[in-house]
Amino acid sequence: MDDDVQRAARKVRDVEQAVSEHVTRSGPITGRASSPDGAVTVVATPGGPPREIAVSAAALRMGPHGLAAEIMRVAEKAQRSANTRLHQTLERVVDPRELTALGVERGQDEDDFGWRR
Amino acid sequence: MAAVNEERLQATEQLQRELGALTATVEHPNSMCTVTASPKGEIKALHLHPALLNQGARAVGQVVTETVRLATNAAVQVSFNKMALALGDGMAIDVESIAGDSPFRSTWNPVVPPEAPAEQAPPERRQRAPRAEDADDDAFFDNPSWLR
Repeated sequence: MDDDVQRAARKVRDVEQAVSEHVTRSGPITGRASSPDGAVTVVATPGGPPREIAVSAAALRMGPHGLAAEIMRVAEKAQRSANTRLHQTLERVVDPRELTALGVERGQDEDDFGWRR
Repeated sequence: MAAVNEERLQATEQLQRELGALTATVEHPNSMCTVTASPKGEIKALHLHPALLNQGARAVGQVVTETVRLATNAAVQVSFNKMALALGDGMAIDVESIAGDSPFRSTWNPVVPPEAPAEQAPPERRQRAPRAEDADDDAFFDNPSWLR
């Protein structure tokens, strides 16, 4: 069991180094999405919590329920974008099937509201 | 032997199902925002107190961002706890050696306190709990705040 763990740790380290070198070249991987009117903007990270959630002053007029729903909607879009970008970046160094198995889905590029990279 | 393997397979599948559906709910220390999040940072539910909106757009963004981070960390920690229950602390510590420390080990006092006005004393920082020396200690369970 210890050998298996050490082998797994070594493999993770190797992949981590390859990924790290790749990301150093490509820059941090994030996804960004905004409401059509700019009320909510979310910068998401793949597989983690959003790095930044920003709301405009006008968004406060949506009320707590409306604003909460909009934040959730935009955050989901931003994270999908981040996952897609991570998938596109890492599929050169990691088997895409393993990425999908890890939950890093490659979504379709969408160009509806606020998609920016 | 085949029956034992079958049991292990079922237990593993059960653990995967539980981890896949796992979320944690956390309320911000200011009580104005509550978030339910998955270990992957997905926001499953978000509740904003009406009074939070009176604090301005910047405060809303900051509080929601912090609460989502806290809820995600809590969900990751619950995942570690469930894994330790199912596989034993030894295996959970092995996983930490590969995937990195659990949030309970790697974060403490994770909310950045708001800047205090000049006349007000800065908020007291909580001391980090001593790290368990003995691997047999239940390091994964000794912080009740993760078990909400």
